[in-house]
Amino acid sequence: MRLADDPDIGRFRAEFAAFLDAHLPTAAEAVERPRSSAHVPAWARRWQRTLFDAGWLLPGQPPEFGGRNATLPQQLAHLEELARRRIYHSFNPQGLGIVAASLITFGTDEQKHRWAVPVLRAEITAALGMSEPGAGSDLASLRTRAVADGDHFVVNGQKVWTSGAHDADILLTFVRTDPDAPKHKGISCLVIPTDTDGVVRRPFGSLAAPDDLDFNEVFFTDVRVPRENLVGPLNEGWRVANGSLGHERTLLWLSFAERLDDLIRDAPCDEDWYATLLMDAQALRLLGYRQLGPDPDPAEISVLKLLGSEAVQDASLHALEAHGADGLRHPELTGPYHHMNAEDFSASWFERYARSFAGTIAGGTSEIQRNIIAERILGLPR
Amino acid sequence: MEFVLDEEQLMLRRTVREAVAKSRARGEDDQWALYQELGWLEAPPVELALILEELGYVADGTPFLASATWFAPVAGRLPEGAGTAVFDGAGRYVLDADRAGEIAVRTRDGVRIVPAGELPVERVDVFDSSLHIAHVDVRDAAHGVPALALMGLAATAVGSCRRILDLVVDHVKERQQFGRPLGAFQAVKHKAADMYVAIERARALTHFSALTLAEDDQRATGAAHMAKAAAGECQRLVFRHGLQLFGAMGFTWEHELQIHLKRAKACDLLLGTAATHRRALLTR
Repeated sequence: MRLADDPDIGRFRAEFAAFLDAHLPTAAEAVERPRSSAHVPAWARRWQRTLFDAGWLLPGQPPEFGGRNATLPQQLAHLEELARRRIYHSFNPQGLGIVAASLITFGTDEQKHRWAVPVLRAEITAALGMSEPGAGSDLASLRTRAVADGDHFVVNGQKVWTSGAHDADILLTFVRTDPDAPKHKGISCLVIPTDTDGVVRRPFGSLAAPDDLDFNEVFFTDVRVPRENLVGPLNEGWRVANGSLGHERTLLWLSFAERLDDLIRDAPCDEDWYATLLMDAQALRLLGYRQLGPDPDPAEISVLKLLGSEAVQDASLHALEAHGADGLRHPELTGPYHHMNAEDFSASWFERYARSFAGTIAGGTSEIQRNIIAERILGLPR
Repeated sequence: MEFVLDEEQLMLRRTVREAVAKSRARGEDDQWALYQELGWLEAPPVELALILEELGYVADGTPFLASATWFAPVAGRLPEGAGTAVFDGAGRYVLDADRAGEIAVRTRDGVRIVPAGELPVERVDVFDSSLHIAHVDVRDAAHGVPALALMGLAATAVGSCRRILDLVVDHVKERQQFGRPLGAFQAVKHKAADMYVAIERARALTHFSALTLAEDDQRATGAAHMAKAAAGECQRLVFRHGLQLFGAMGFTWEHELQIHLKRAKACDLLLGTAATHRRALLTR
C-alpha cells in the first residue's frame, strides 16, 4: 500500500499527455455534435483513428487492435488522463468497449478484421442488441429467435433500449437458438448488419426530450444472417454476453468517479451533503484501486457500481434541490462545456438528476447489484 | 497509488486474529500484556488500523485503543502501562481515563503528561457497559484531536460493524420463516448488501487515512475526518439494519449482538459524530 504511483505509470501518463497535447482536435474542428451513441461526426472519426494508429485507443489491446499491451493500472491511468481533460476517446462507446472487445475475445480472425478493426478505426459504428420487452434484468429469458436454414440463420423478434441502433452499421445481437435448452444454454450471438432486409429500427425519445434519440426498438422479420456471422460457439452466447459486459465492467466504476468529480466541481459546496459527495468520490476511487490487486473478486464490481451510481444520484438530487426554483431552468449550462465531451453532464440540474437514473438502471439495476452482493459475497440463499 | 494490502500486512492480520482468539479466555489483563509484548502499540498507522479493526471485531476490552491512538500521538511516546489523553478543555468523556497510568494533556504551553492519581477522575456510567469512560478535571487543556485518534476510532467501528454483519448473515441463513431462510427474502438481502457497501466504504477511507498518516501526507487531516465520518455513517446503517434483521433475538442481553452495537455506536459518539466531521471537512 502506498500513495505514490509506480514510476512506470508516471512515464506512461507523461507519454500519453504529450500525445494528447499534440493531437487533440480544436473546438473549431469539432463543430458537428454527435446526436446518438453510435453517430460519430467526421472529425471524431479522424480523432479515434489517430488514437488507434498510435496505440492509444484501447491500450490494453495489442497494436493490431489499437493498443500497446498495457497493464490494467496503465489502462486506468489512460482513462484518468482522458477524464481529467474531459475528453472522450470514442463517441461510440458501446461499439468500442463492448462490441469490438467481444469480437476480439470471442470472434474468428475473419470477424475481427471484418468488424472489430473497422469499429475501432471508426469506419463503422456498432450497437448492442441485448434487452427485449420481456427480458430486462432477466436477460437470459430473451425470446428473439434464430433458426438455422442451410448456411443462414433466420431471425425473428424484437429488441428494445438498443442505444444508437438507428445510427449503427452493425448490431451485436443475442438470439435464442435452442428453445428447448435451459434458458442460459440456448442463446447465441450474431453480428447483424443494420442494412439487412427485415431489420427495422425505430428510435424513441428519452425522458429529457422527444428529439433526444438514442434508445431504439429494433424489429427483426425473417432476417437472413449468414452463419459466418455467429460469434463464439452455437448456444454459448451467454458466455459471450457475460464476457462482453465484463469488458465494460472492470473499469466501469471510473465513469461514476468522473461524474462525481464533475459534481464536486459544479455543485454548491457549503452544505452537509457536499462532504458526503467528497467522501463517496474518494471511497469509490480507493475501492476501484483495490480491484487492481491480484485475484479481484468479480462480485466486488457490483459494490463499485452500486456505490458509484447511487452517489451520483444522491449528489445530483441535492444539487438540484439546493438551487430551489432556479433548478427548474432548462436548458442551462451547469458545468464547463468541452467540445471533446458529450453535453449531458453540463446540462441543467434537473436534467442531470434525471439522467443519473441511467446509472442506477442500465447495466444491471441497483436492485440486481444488491442481490449479487448478498448472494455472491455474503452467501445468502438465492 | 497502490491500494492493496501486501503479504506482510495480510500476515499481520492473520496473526492478530489468532492471537486475539487464543487469548480471549485469559481475561483483559493478560490480553493487554500480550498486545504489549507483541509490539502492537508500536505498529505504524496502516498496521495499527488492521490491528484495531480486528480488536473492534471482538469488542476488545483492553486499554489498547486509547494508549495507541490517544496518548501516543500527543505524548510522542508510548505510555507507562495504559495511557489516554484529554482533547477537550473540560476533560469530558475521556476513554480509559479511570484505568490509565498516564494522561497526556495538550495545553497552550505544550504537552503535559500527568501520572494518574494527580488529576481528579470520575468514571461515567455509559450504555456500553464494557467501555471505560471518565471525566477528568483538567482546566488548561487546549483543543486539538490528533488524526490518529480519529482513525483509531474509525478502524474500531469498522471492525464492530463487520462483526455485526457477520452475525446477521449467519442468522438470516439459519433462521426459517414461511418455509424459507430469512436471507432468501429480497428485503433482507438488500439491507445486508447496503451494510456491506457501507462497511467497505468506511474501511477504504480508514485505510486511506492510515496511509496518509504513515506517509506524513498533507491530506492526513482531511482523510481522518473522512474516515471518522464514514465510520459514523456506516455504524448508523449497520446498527439499524443489524438490530432490525435480528428481530427480538437481538433485543436480548444474552445475545452478543448488543455488545457490538453499543461499541460501534460509542465509536461514533466519541470525538465527534459523523455530522461533526462532515462539517469539519467543509470548513477546513
